[in-house]
Amino acid sequence: MLKKSQSSLNLGFSIFILLFLIFLLQLSTKLALIFALSLALGYTLQKSRFCFVAAFRDPLLVGTTKISQAVILLLIISIPAFFLVFQIASNLHLPIELNVTPFGFHTFLGGLLFGTGMVLAGGCASGTLMRVGEGFAMQMIALGGLIIGAFLGNSSLPYILNIFHEFPGVFLPDIMGWVPAISIQLLVLILLWLGIRKWQKSKRT
Amino acid sequence: MTTYYLDIWGEMCPIPIIKTQRKFKQMASGDVLILETEHSCTSRALVVWAQENGHKYVEKEVSNGIWRIELTKK
Amino acid sequence: MREKLQIIAKGPWAYWVGAIVLAILNILVLVVRQEPWGITTNIEEWSVWLAGKLGLTGNPDLTLKELLLSDGTYLNLGVILGAFWATVVASQARFRPLKNKKFAVSALFGGIMMGFGARIAYGCNIGLVLNGIASSSLAGWIFTIAVFLGAWLGGKILLRYLL
Repeated sequence: MLKKSQSSLNLGFSIFILLFLIFLLQLSTKLALIFALSLALGYTLQKSRFCFVAAFRDPLLVGTTKISQAVILLLIISIPAFFLVFQIASNLHLPIELNVTPFGFHTFLGGLLFGTGMVLAGGCASGTLMRVGEGFAMQMIALGGLIIGAFLGNSSLPYILNIFHEFPGVFLPDIMGWVPAISIQLLVLILLWLGIRKWQKSKRT
Repeated sequence: MTTYYLDIWGEMCPIPIIKTQRKFKQMASGDVLILETEHSCTSRALVVWAQENGHKYVEKEVSNGIWRIELTKK
Repeated sequence: MREKLQIIAKGPWAYWVGAIVLAILNILVLVVRQEPWGITTNIEEWSVWLAGKLGLTGNPDLTLKELLLSDGTYLNLGVILGAFWATVVASQARFRPLKNKKFAVSALFGGIMMGFGARIAYGCNIGLVLNGIASSSLAGWIFTIAVFLGAWLGGKILLRYLL
């Protein structure tokens, strides 16, 4: 089994992607841009072997924390950047919406189920999609499960909202102001990063 | 100096790393462990684990999307 | 220069490089889409449409045409095709079959738990952990703590049954 070059497959696939992008451009510029960006996202996820599951699971299970540190870095960049984009868009009176969702006990329950499920399936939502692209049969099954589970969640949501009280979404800057909200979040993340580095040193064998 | 093989074919993370850690406990310093995997993430995770713990490693892509890793215990 | 190009094409990139590139792309998605990147909302829409076609529910809210014109569909499709492209560029594409039935069962139930959990919490690792925290939303932090506990629980199950 020697390594064969797959450059002809690469050429064919690149042409297909290019044609698809041109087709989308006819439909709408926004869709084409979004598609191009998500191609880049998939490419980056695969090339850097980025895995949110490993970030949550590995510190406790195997004692490696490199991916967890990278996820914390991603968050540290994203918080001020989202703030900037939000402020600029508001000043220009452009419509923009951040992910401030209502929450309740079902948020916690959902997170617990999601966390357990992603370890068993070997990939979270983004990881599953990326590994489907990589050709893993296991994550293709997981994607099927994800679709079934999403439907079950969708149809049982009314009953769940009957049991648990739902609070409206809390946007932290609304209750404490922009500067304290961002500094507290960044401080928590930096402390977490320092803690994780200490943890890794203690785990070294 | 002994050479060991470990079958981690087709297993997802983190099973290969846990198996490797357990195998390493039985190995003496200087022993070599050879693993083969088709998971890009697993191969990367094993290399990062070896780097962090100071074990020597050689990672080679032996076929399309198949990696062979040789770990030497510190 | 040639070596640098080789690394971009072949990888693997360091995790922190991936984090920075992902952060930039994620912000660009926010700018273009005027809302943050998300995955499972779109998967839910497709699942409801599919269930409607199979006769499991009444009439779905969205038609096929609306789904095909929704940006969420192209976000998900793009991640799959982009990852495939990344493997082809490095000549690493291959089909990777299942090891045994145990893993199929684990993947199916893991997937169902993920889908259910993501939809009752209104988000996944991208929509709530990454973009929830990036949006300074309290729900994102609650979900993140729960996912961490869930991953610990999942690790215990994995050690018990899959190892």
